[in-house]
Amino acid sequence: MTESLVAIVTALGDDELILGHRHAEWTGFAPHIEEDVAFSSIAQDEIGHAAAYYSIASSLTGLTRDALALGRSVDEYRHAVLCERPNSDWAYTITRQWLYDRADCLRLTALEESAHDDLRHLATKIRREERYHLIHADMWMERIAHGPIEGRTKLTQAATTVLSATAGLFEPFEREADAIGEGWLTVPSEELGRRFVGEAVDALDGLGLPAEVTPDGWRAEFVASSSGDLIATDRSGSGEASAPAGLGGRSGRHSPDFSALWADMTRTYRADPEATW
Amino acid sequence: MVNEATADDVWVALETVVDPEIPAVSVVEMGMIRSVEVGAGRASVVVLPTFTGCPAIGVIEQDVRGAVSSVPGVVEVEIRMSFDPPWTTDRITLEGRRKLKDFGLAPPTGEGPVLITEIGLPSEAICPFCGSRDTTNQSLFGPTPCRAIYHCSSCKNPFEQFKAV
Repeated sequence: MTESLVAIVTALGDDELILGHRHAEWTGFAPHIEEDVAFSSIAQDEIGHAAAYYSIASSLTGLTRDALALGRSVDEYRHAVLCERPNSDWAYTITRQWLYDRADCLRLTALEESAHDDLRHLATKIRREERYHLIHADMWMERIAHGPIEGRTKLTQAATTVLSATAGLFEPFEREADAIGEGWLTVPSEELGRRFVGEAVDALDGLGLPAEVTPDGWRAEFVASSSGDLIATDRSGSGEASAPAGLGGRSGRHSPDFSALWADMTRTYRADPEATW
Repeated sequence: MVNEATADDVWVALETVVDPEIPAVSVVEMGMIRSVEVGAGRASVVVLPTFTGCPAIGVIEQDVRGAVSSVPGVVEVEIRMSFDPPWTTDRITLEGRRKLKDFGLAPPTGEGPVLITEIGLPSEAICPFCGSRDTTNQSLFGPTPCRAIYHCSSCKNPFEQFKAV
């Protein structure tokens, strides 16, 4: 009965931990000091959210939060592949933060109806804090989308890549049918994913980046704006029946990018798992 | 004759526990203590963390445990962290707000419950140094998860505000 709950909080914690780790990589390297601080702070929030999800898993499994966060092998993590991708450039980082946090808020809103008390309360708390992340990402998306063509081109390229990979956030959790049956989840992941794509396309449109989304729901192609200056679509994949990229994370299938991140993130823990800090 | 500890004794002890990053204000003034129950030498305290990712939470839990353990008559202590209800900035007491300001940290503005749609909007911040309202938000993020950075156009000082949440 609790296995499906453990599966949900572990996957949610993993999303937050791994993307938080990527955000933290901007510490000291962001374009200016306010962004150093912003991404460090957002990373701290996300890793704190991960710790809170792991606390629920810990109470159900008896494993410590550290063991959950750092004591598993690569294929035991359940985050979406999107979260482990390297930061690439600023446009990619901002677009990923923007789409991830929108997706996160959508699923948190659904989790506020969960039958599990601790999960429901945590979702309410986290969604309030996430407002700051959304405002941060919105501010940057506006700035880049309304700036020179070079930035806008990078933004549309990033949005094409990231939107497709957000499909991995809405892959069903392990034992999801059980979780729905128990009321831990109230909305199936695939249904949330459909809502997310609709919202994401509307939000992109609001930024003056009108996108057409192919029938599989996950591949965006940007169309020229009325002024004709937005011609940034990479049409190399156009017309092909492309499957959404970045699937497999929810069942532990990760990219080589994660092996490198994992080795770095867990090095200290693996050196002495019994150490007291 | 053994002294029976009361909930009031525990509340008094909790007045000495501070957030190590804001040592001017107690956890009681921050509104972080949801409840205290005492009976037969056993004290149960429910703590509401301010920000989920606050790195001070572990230290605060330890300090709360230490303070409650030191109350005469308390032999067993249970500390529980809860997000029910979520800690919100309107829980900070008036005295807590005054102490935040004296500490150099602008308290969150506004009164009453903070609606989720109001969180993060550029709120008015009053300069804790000169009292001016002629201030500008420089960044929503600061040195801790709970602080935003402002600049005062009157006295030209940068300052931090406790973020509304």
